[in-house]
Amino acid sequence: MRVSELVKKTGLKTFNEGADKEIMGVYISDMVSDIIGIKEGHLLITLQTHKNLIAAANLVDVAAVVFSRNRIPADDVVALANRAGIKLLGYDGDTWSLAKRLCELKVG
Amino acid sequence: MTNIRSGYLVIEGCFHCRNRISFFSQEPGAPIDDYREGEHFWSHLAHYQASQFDLKCEKCSAEVPLREVMALMLCMKCNPDCGVYAAGTQEPGQKTWVYVALCANTSHSPKKCIPLKSLGALNEYFNHGIKDPAKKIVVVPCRSRKSVDVCQGIVLADVGLTDLY
Repeated sequence: MRVSELVKKTGLKTFNEGADKEIMGVYISDMVSDIIGIKEGHLLITLQTHKNLIAAANLVDVAAVVFSRNRIPADDVVALANRAGIKLLGYDGDTWSLAKRLCELKVG
Repeated sequence: MTNIRSGYLVIEGCFHCRNRISFFSQEPGAPIDDYREGEHFWSHLAHYQASQFDLKCEKCSAEVPLREVMALMLCMKCNPDCGVYAAGTQEPGQKTWVYVALCANTSHSPKKCIPLKSLGALNEYFNHGIKDPAKKIVVVPCRSRKSVDVCQGIVLADVGLTDLY
């Protein structure tokens, strides 16, 4: 499933344009030091909205980043994601609710 | 990626020689005590939750230990005169992202930095799965950096993690 299709099916908010990448898997983490170990093409779900996270997400070539619990990235974070072509998405509910929804949709 | 070790990236400075060092600590809490070591008086400057890892070939199982790598840092292209900046401009048309592998001795007073073998492994690892043919990750040693004092790079460590909850 591509990121654009996921957005249509779940109603996720979009914070920027970003590339419409294929989602190869899903990873949930709030630790940058953990994220740098994941494989490319994952949908990353997190509470963290700082620039370090974008730097790590770019390194491992994520499909997109979803900020759960209605967290909103600052303008400089969005600007860095734009440079990296990383699509930033938002979800109002908690991470577990989103994980269940992604399972129902057989994402990844 | 193998042998992933969780711990703290600890940065210390000597007010006597003004050198800075960093090390990776796997103690339950980051060490923050000042101490004397020969002519140096090391004081704690900062620490961040971080991880170290080694790389292992999926085909031949050969391992490349990366104990010299304290952390990776994304170059924010703040200074065109910097060697790290230059590393990102060598292939026009490519979307090149330069990451700096930080060694323990930020001041490089012993003239040592990250070994070439480690850099080669890091470059291969972080590029092999990239789907966009125009995107490239370049990992360079921190000795390429012009100045540690004004560098605006983003260190891949868990800054502000405990502020979250």
